Amino acid sequence: MMAAVGASEVITQLESAAKVLMAPPSMVSAEQRQHAEHVFLSFRKSKSPFAICKHILETSKVDYVLFQAATAIMEAVVREWILLEKTSIESLRTFLLTYVLQRPNLQKYVREQILLAVAVIVKRASLDKSINCKSIFHEVGQLISSGNPTVQTLACSILTALLSEFSSSSKTSSIGLSMEFHGSCKRLFQEEGLRQIFMLTMEVLQEFSRRENLNAQMSSVFQRYLALANQVLSWNFLPPNYILSLGQSLLLILLRIKQSFWKIREDSDMAQDSLQCLAQLASMHGPVFPDESAQVSYLAHLVEGLLSMINGIEIEDSEAVGISNIISNLITMFPRSILTALPSDLFTSFINCLTLLTCSFGRSAALEEVLDKDDMVYMEAYDKLLESWLTLVQDEEHFPRGCFVQPAIQVFNSYIQCHLAAPDGTRNLSVNGISSHEEEEINELQEDDRELFSDQLSSIGMLGRVAADHCIPLLTSLLEDRVTRLHGQLQRTQQHLMASSDLGSVDRKVLDDLYEDIHWLILVSGYLLADDPQGETPLIPSEVMEFSIKHSTEVDINTTLQILGSPGEKASSIPGCNRTDSVIRLLSAVLRTSEVESRATRASLTELLSPQMGKDIVWFLRRWAKTYLLVDEKLYEQISMPLSTAFGADTEGAQWIVGYLLEKVINNLSVWSSEAELANDTVELLVTLVEKRERANIVVQCESWWNLAKQFASRSPPLHLLSSSVQRSLMKALVLGGFAHMDSDTKQQYWAEVLHPLQQRFLNLINQENFAQISQEEAVKQEIVATLEALCGIAEATQIDNVASLFSFLMDFLSSCIGLMEVYSNTPETINLIIEVFVEVAHKQICYLGETKSMKLYEACLTLLQVYSKNNQSRKRSDATAEEDQYQDLLLIMELLTNLLSKEFIDFSDTDEVFRNQDQGTPASNRTVSAADVVLYGVNIVLPLMSQDLLKFPSLCNQYYKLITFICEIFPEKIPQLPEDLFKSLMFSLELGMTSMSSEISQLCLEALSPLAEQCAKNQEKDTPLFIATRHFLKLVFDMLVLQKHNTEMTVAAGEALYTLVCLHQAEYSELVETLLSSQRDAVIYQRLADAFNKLTASSTPPTMDRKQKVAFLKSLEEFVANVGGLLCVK
Amino acid sequence: MADADLDFQTGDAGASATYPMQCSALRKNGFVVLKGRPCKIVEMSTSKTGKHGHAKVHLVGIDIFSGKKYEDICPSTHNMDVPNIKRMDYQLIGIQDGYLSLLQDSGEVREDLKIPEGDLGKEIESKHEAGEEILVSTLISPSSSSALCPERPLLFQITVLNAMDEEAAIGIKALGK
Repeated sequence: MMAAVGASEVITQLESAAKVLMAPPSMVSAEQRQHAEHVFLSFRKSKSPFAICKHILETSKVDYVLFQAATAIMEAVVREWILLEKTSIESLRTFLLTYVLQRPNLQKYVREQILLAVAVIVKRASLDKSINCKSIFHEVGQLISSGNPTVQTLACSILTALLSEFSSSSKTSSIGLSMEFHGSCKRLFQEEGLRQIFMLTMEVLQEFSRRENLNAQMSSVFQRYLALANQVLSWNFLPPNYILSLGQSLLLILLRIKQSFWKIREDSDMAQDSLQCLAQLASMHGPVFPDESAQVSYLAHLVEGLLSMINGIEIEDSEAVGISNIISNLITMFPRSILTALPSDLFTSFINCLTLLTCSFGRSAALEEVLDKDDMVYMEAYDKLLESWLTLVQDEEHFPRGCFVQPAIQVFNSYIQCHLAAPDGTRNLSVNGISSHEEEEINELQEDDRELFSDQLSSIGMLGRVAADHCIPLLTSLLEDRVTRLHGQLQRTQQHLMASSDLGSVDRKVLDDLYEDIHWLILVSGYLLADDPQGETPLIPSEVMEFSIKHSTEVDINTTLQILGSPGEKASSIPGCNRTDSVIRLLSAVLRTSEVESRATRASLTELLSPQMGKDIVWFLRRWAKTYLLVDEKLYEQISMPLSTAFGADTEGAQWIVGYLLEKVINNLSVWSSEAELANDTVELLVTLVEKRERANIVVQCESWWNLAKQFASRSPPLHLLSSSVQRSLMKALVLGGFAHMDSDTKQQYWAEVLHPLQQRFLNLINQENFAQISQEEAVKQEIVATLEALCGIAEATQIDNVASLFSFLMDFLSSCIGLMEVYSNTPETINLIIEVFVEVAHKQICYLGETKSMKLYEACLTLLQVYSKNNQSRKRSDATAEEDQYQDLLLIMELLTNLLSKEFIDFSDTDEVFRNQDQGTPASNRTVSAADVVLYGVNIVLPLMSQDLLKFPSLCNQYYKLITFICEIFPEKIPQLPEDLFKSLMFSLELGMTSMSSEISQLCLEALSPLAEQCAKNQEKDTPLFIATRHFLKLVFDMLVLQKHNTEMTVAAGEALYTLVCLHQAEYSELVETLLSSQRDAVIYQRLADAFNKLTASSTPPTMDRKQKVAFLKSLEEFVANVGGLLCVK
Repeated sequence: MADADLDFQTGDAGASATYPMQCSALRKNGFVVLKGRPCKIVEMSTSKTGKHGHAKVHLVGIDIFSGKKYEDICPSTHNMDVPNIKRMDYQLIGIQDGYLSLLQDSGEVREDLKIPEGDLGKEIESKHEAGEEILVSTLISPSSSSALCPERPLLFQITVLNAMDEEAAIGIKALGK
């Protein structure tokens, strides 16, 4: 089209089209706009547009047209590369560069686009031996040495464009070439170009840093080069890493960057860039260093520079994060041996500097909190430094002994100081020393400090252990002091109340300050004394153990026990109180806090107390009990006498403390039922006490435990006021306790107290004649809900040694629960709860159940599903705007089915071993219901309900795909039997999951394909719907592996699927390969691909479903992807 | 068993209009009295003033009769009134002078309930007009429902809520499905 018309006409046409595109929306119609866009698109596609583009660039005055001309050149060069004379490419490149140089006033976006075209040409040429574009660096070098800021800026833009193009990242232009091409260019560039760019950059930086004064224009050039240096240092290297050649010049570079830092501190953007450069340099590692001594001297240089930099200045807000990043990188990346090889003076200065910096950032962070700043830069910097301390201290054995003790004390002290109120501390003090005290509204979503600051607290706790000699006694004395003051303050308030009895007149400021102090002291104590590992038995930290052992000779055990056993008394009033074990004394201090709290509740001062402090106390006691209570001596090399005497098995101390904790729990549950979180933490403490058999044995000997059980069973106040989740956990604890060691009479009695009332009440209620009528009454509903919650709690308490009795107990309920489905069909929340009971039972118990028991459960579940399905037909759900929780029932049903299926993976049952003596001689051939029946029935319900809209809810989507993958894997033989529409929607779901969901789900779907294909192979029937579906999947998987840029994690799953599909559809596979090959124009690529495909299947010809062959195929596939994977994938 | 405190049989005889419950024990989808009106709780959240403050519960409820929205915030230790709500299903047997004729379980007919205002009222009227005179039968007892002729979708069940001395029809659905 363009060729037919003259150049000037083309320009006119383009310029008027540009006018249309640039016009405001109201001025032009959509058709006009579309037409204008079309003009440009077809212009860019026109053949050999070079002459006309040059002409446009030289004559047109419309920026947008210039921009399009540059784009057209870039696209056409790549498109017509092979046809073009190399000399004309070179001249084109020169033309573009000169063009930009001669027009300093070009619009920025036009200039950048032209330079991009230059960069693309250079990149395309880099792999072409017949053309040499390396002169570009020489040319840029000349531009830089011109000394003209404008020209230097241009040079910087060229280098930036080159970096973006070669980085093969998201910044790289799409030019329709294979990923392999992009990768090769990048590799080549890493070897040479990158280094040249860096050297050029350094030259500029060096030159600028030598100058005394920089004017505005020069400093802007400076900043651009600094950003460029940053980009180079952050280069994402493809292996192998060629930065080696950079090594020698690193020291020089470091020096220069640091020099530059001085010049530019006033400009915070620039300071930011240079700090980032330094952080990159501080993480230098690997083959950059020829040997260890080079690494040491580099580090020494780095540290020296850093120290002189930090010590000489007052750090600005904007620099804190940058500096902490440098230190954190340095500590994380350099091996310990290199750190310790530093001259000891230097190392000491570094540690001292780090200490001061940490304390100072900590104080500034506290200030930020007071001012409630949005941007918490010091907090971020402080977090980074504390994390670095943790790294250092964890490797303590590599460093000189005790070298961290003094720093630890300082950092610990400053942390405590920042968190205590005046006069001991500086909490809430703003710069001018005025304390601010504002009460803000805190919603339930806000995390508790113990989670919000868990990283900080872990570090501080660790430092506290390092300096245990100082920190444990410090915490103890501070806490004892606060508790004494709290006690006094509460007493005074009580007297005040007796006089005025108006709670509103109480000044809470003093109390709140004490609560906040105690809050932090308990949190730090908890993190110092114990860890909270998930799923492991927590051990007493070795530092704490050693500390206790070291002082055990000076300790008077009896006084220690006396301090422990008298939480109601002031510690300092006990004679000889300074000869007590400090670890026990710290626990005692928390118990004293707890005691003051409990007494206040008994004196009806609950309203004055802090629920937050209540949470802190039970949180601490739980963490402590997990680690110290009934300490198991076998787990330790050596054990502290005081600790084993006070908390060991069969000690009075342990018994006393269990009793005390139990009282605490019971008191809390009745006093704090209105504080959900506190009640929750409290019941968690109770669960901790009974979940270990040894502890439970002591618990059940306490009378209060039995009272608690009775009280809960009678469902009377105050326990029935607790939230449902607390009631559930309480039930769980009571059941767990029932499996402690008791004689058989006692045991029988216990269950009669705990479980039987539940059953009795329930049966009495539902067997009433008028149950149908009264069922909707609030009181009845509440009773039902409470029972269902309790059942969930019972299921949660399942362990291998109690499953037999719990299963029988729960089974009796399940059928009645199904009856309730009908009764409560119009209260979704009750329906959900009923399903949840089944979910929990299946989740916790099915893995232990033998064949007959499983079958019973399957039957019950099947009936549940039948009723659910019937009710569901008449159930109205709100429209498309529905929230996720509207579909809770669906989610639960899927969860139930998945749990039932999980038996096929995890099965601990040993032919009803755990049920020995219970059911003998039920022949297995009698089986009536199988897992497959239940699950497929369930799928029949679920599939029609799952729409694409519902898959947008992540929880539903994940659960759904987990379920259908399980089914395909476990019951592939059932899939062909599905009704046609269900089968279709299942297949559609798989395709959808594979192609347009997250990689996790895509992987699940791929995993589902192999069993389906194997199923087809087994049947040997062609033209079944499943057979046809798998043929479609073959193409999908083939395309995914060969043509698309896929996640490498999926190669294995996709490979396995592909292999089984290939086995099944060999002819179709060959056809796919043929089609792909025949579409290749390039003979070389054709050959490479053909060879690769041959190699891929060589080890498995003819493909059979045999494990060995499959493994061989997967291995070849890996090679295949590495060799030609990038060839067909185009960017 | 010691079930003295649990006597469901006497459910409605002499039951008070409301009973107290600690605020924290209320649940979403449950009922509560807000601003003197019986409400279904549609939203419930807690907050506290200051880190050491006590929990306060923020409640949003919908009046079960008028559909109006009410909100309240109160300390979680407070007792709130929970309405005793009765839900009854009657068979609709006629409409006279703006009043519904409803057949009770006992066989008696009550005619003291007005047709509700608004869309529901219109729906009841039009559905009733489409129907005809209908055999008297109760719906809860299963034996009598089998006596109904299932092919005639002309029987309607009216759901009536009773709370705090107020009563209103809140729904209509066809019987005999």
